[in-house]
Amino acid sequence: MNKKGFVGVIVLALVGLMLAVGPALGADPVKIGVVGPRTGDAAATGKAFEEGIQLATAWVNAKGGVLGRPLEVVFEDTAGAPDKAASGFERLVTRDKVAMVLGESHSSSALAEIEVANRLKIPFVVVEAWADPITAKNYRYVFRAGPSNSGVVNETIAKWVQASGFKKAYIVAENSDWGLGIAQLTEAALKKAAIPYEQLVTERKSQDHYTELTKIKQFGPDVVLAYVYGTGLHYFVAQAGEVGLTPKAVILDGAGPPSLWPDYWTNVGDYGNLECFVSSMHEKVELTPLAKEFRENYVKAFGKAPTDYKSRSIYDAVLIAADAINRAGSLGAENLVTALEKTDLLTTRGKAKFGMEKGGPEYHQWMPPMLVIQWQDKAQTVLYPPEAATGQLKR
Amino acid sequence: MLALSLTNGLVIGIVYALTALGVSLVVGIMNVVNFAHGEFYILAGYFSYLFAHTLGIHPLAAMVIAVGLVFLLGLVVEYTLIRPTYGDDMYSLILTFILSIVFQSLFLLVFGPYPNKPPSWIKGATEVFGLFHYGNQRLAALAAGVVVIALFFAMLKLTWFGRMIRAAAQDREMAELNGINTTRLNLLSFGLGCALAAAAGVILAPVFPVTPTAGTPVALTAFVCVVLGGMGSMSGCVLGGLVLGVVENLGAAYVSTGYKHVFMFLILILVLLFRPAGLFGRREV
Amino acid sequence: MVKAIDNRWWLAAAVAGFAALPWGLGIYHQHVLIVSLFYVMMTASWNLLAGYTGQVSFGHAAFAGIGAYASGILATKVGLNPWLGVGAGTLAAAVFGFLLGVLCLKMGGIYLSLTTLGFSEILHIIINNEYEITRGTMGLQVPGLIAEYSKLAYFYIFLAGAIITLAVVHRLIHANIGLNFRAVQNDERAAAALGVDVVRVRVLAFTVSSALAGMAGALYGHYLLLITPQIPSLDQQFLVLSMTVIGGLGSFAGPVIGAFGLEILSEYIRAYGEYHVLAFGLVALIVARFAPRGLVGVWKQFMDRRRPAA
Repeated sequence: MNKKGFVGVIVLALVGLMLAVGPALGADPVKIGVVGPRTGDAAATGKAFEEGIQLATAWVNAKGGVLGRPLEVVFEDTAGAPDKAASGFERLVTRDKVAMVLGESHSSSALAEIEVANRLKIPFVVVEAWADPITAKNYRYVFRAGPSNSGVVNETIAKWVQASGFKKAYIVAENSDWGLGIAQLTEAALKKAAIPYEQLVTERKSQDHYTELTKIKQFGPDVVLAYVYGTGLHYFVAQAGEVGLTPKAVILDGAGPPSLWPDYWTNVGDYGNLECFVSSMHEKVELTPLAKEFRENYVKAFGKAPTDYKSRSIYDAVLIAADAINRAGSLGAENLVTALEKTDLLTTRGKAKFGMEKGGPEYHQWMPPMLVIQWQDKAQTVLYPPEAATGQLKR
Repeated sequence: MLALSLTNGLVIGIVYALTALGVSLVVGIMNVVNFAHGEFYILAGYFSYLFAHTLGIHPLAAMVIAVGLVFLLGLVVEYTLIRPTYGDDMYSLILTFILSIVFQSLFLLVFGPYPNKPPSWIKGATEVFGLFHYGNQRLAALAAGVVVIALFFAMLKLTWFGRMIRAAAQDREMAELNGINTTRLNLLSFGLGCALAAAAGVILAPVFPVTPTAGTPVALTAFVCVVLGGMGSMSGCVLGGLVLGVVENLGAAYVSTGYKHVFMFLILILVLLFRPAGLFGRREV
Repeated sequence: MVKAIDNRWWLAAAVAGFAALPWGLGIYHQHVLIVSLFYVMMTASWNLLAGYTGQVSFGHAAFAGIGAYASGILATKVGLNPWLGVGAGTLAAAVFGFLLGVLCLKMGGIYLSLTTLGFSEILHIIINNEYEITRGTMGLQVPGLIAEYSKLAYFYIFLAGAIITLAVVHRLIHANIGLNFRAVQNDERAAAALGVDVVRVRVLAFTVSSALAGMAGALYGHYLLLITPQIPSLDQQFLVLSMTVIGGLGSFAGPVIGAFGLEILSEYIRAYGEYHVLAFGLVALIVARFAPRGLVGVWKQFMDRRRPAA
């Protein structure tokens, strides 16, 4: 009897819990959705998104909100998995009735989400998913206010490899849309530059890279282009140090954020020194006045300096969305698309403007400038592009 | 390449063996497969991280405390969840399967999704026999693993408790007739099984930091070792662990890194099909 | 006899009422119903195996995966009609189920569970490594079952799938051979002594159950329009297992109650993000420990106690 009663209490408690969650009504604010990984391997990205959203909504609402109403952001978790991403996107539209959706930092998830956006006819501004096909599919409702693989490779990584005079390269790619896509583009760029290279595909979740690293060491490259997202990169860098691949070769983290996460140094120790990474933000250099304001507000709100540049990417996206909604004058999808196409807005990363030429990944895409940065005694040194460089590559 | 793969296989194999010993012990005495075995391993890793990093206790002391706490938790789990399932091995399997998921989501909630790494005992890498560079922490893990396994076997051979375990594993009813309190023996062996998982966890966590879901592959590997060595055979499962470690690393080096865990499951199914008593196990009567 | 006719009427009324349900609901709630129906197919077919023949398989989600990937790959690489694909997926799952069933014949209890677990892991590794065909964790985009995407249409497709699944399970456990099903669970040696063909019953259960899971998986893939290794994952297996255990392992209604109850509950507590798996796990653990016959068992006990002993 007692045991049964116990079960009943638990069930009752759970039912009570779910009734208490009932959605708060009185839908005065304008709702937009954000998708991103709040759990799973890349939950740190979700954290960065959260911070950027908080600052951006405060900024927008302090300036009068959108259409005279406050702006509200609903953040749906994707766990970094395409299936959860697609159903989460749909939930934002069907349950939360958002006017448009922003975000995403996994290409495979974004590729699933753009199909839903297209089916439901909801404007979707991709922020940090780099695979070319996301915009190359030329969907009317899909925009990207952030880097694309071809942009990052051709504008930044390949040029940096050539400018630094590397003789032999090794490409390590995780088996995701981002990893395989960027590896393929890198191969093409290296071939064109006549730099000998080899490549291998790895698992993002793999913890033991000794065998792979030994293969890489036998080839003897002086630069390793690592396209591995998440803490997998930490294992890779630490073990590369143990087997003695580094410091002879330099590792470039082709995504950036994992090298900036708070646990980077605990996981890699001294082997993290001299590692290079791609980023759109440097700890000292600012490109626009808005970027300076962002940094000040960030420090005020969170009591620390911003590290993961993706907090600023989503910040820009929210500003772009608010600007488009205000210019559209309504929340109709067609109006929003037209307004987005006419975007001409100064953001933290420069002037945002979407490409209109159909046929390639440049359609509906704005490519912000990217930097190559090196950890030198735990301080960031910009290596590339030359006009922004604050120091020399150390080996 | 070959030398490196063999060394790697040996290191990983020793840890496999250590984890599998716990499973083997519990299977041998209680006929219970503890699906949450890997989560005890992870929990110990988290504890040693927590005590050493957050509270600043000496890493070695943190490890000992972690293993002790997991041992106590094992006793609690046996008392509340496993005891009512005696005789129904499917029931205990379902319960521990659910328990493993509960643990995983608790870990995620408390420690977050990132890997947590207890401090390394030793820094740097060594050039082994002039052949290859090898992380010092891995070599230390190998040594620690060997020591713990040796201690366990010494306990089994030399102490009164060890003799009791061996008696019960061989013939439960006979042991009971000879006045062994098997209920208490079950409780202690389950706790000891969990403590062995915990020992493996604290030894390997500085090499492979723990994450909430990393326990599942640990448990799966341990099951394979146990089947390979013959259910309930202690020395068999140590051999099984070593074989698995070496086969996996050779496979990764010469066949395919992506498929390295397939070899393990293929071995499992083949052994179950053709030698259900295990490669090194004695034939059951 | 009268009772049987009564039941049939009740059943028809319930199905009709359920079929009318989505008309009053929005798209979001229709989606929740469709997913619940998918889980009804999964739990009912797993229950056939675990609840009625005592073979606790950890490979059920893997069979759903085989169905989904077989159909999805045929549709994207060969251009096969998705409906034929569902048929092919079901068949593929049946074949693998038959083979695994035969493989596991000599094994009992734990050994069978471990083998199915190994099978499931091998499948996972293959899907992840052959990403050029399966697209691994990136997810395989597949065409829908109907040209014009409509939740309502999918609801009826899934309702039909669930009814077929339940009908097959019902037939097997109530037909002559059904007696054999229970006999096999309770005591194999005794069942064999009674002249029950243990081998046949076990392999039949494995094949049918796998085929039904394959069908569920294939339909689900063509509903989500995206197939990922999440479908054949251990997490999915955990959901199916806990739904069945909470509802009532080895009872006909249990899996249905568990599937609907837990899926709807999980949609509600999703607002708490990662907490919902924990809530699930705790409920499942408590039910499994204190009421091993699930909610159905608790209900039966309750009714028995209310009725004066006859």
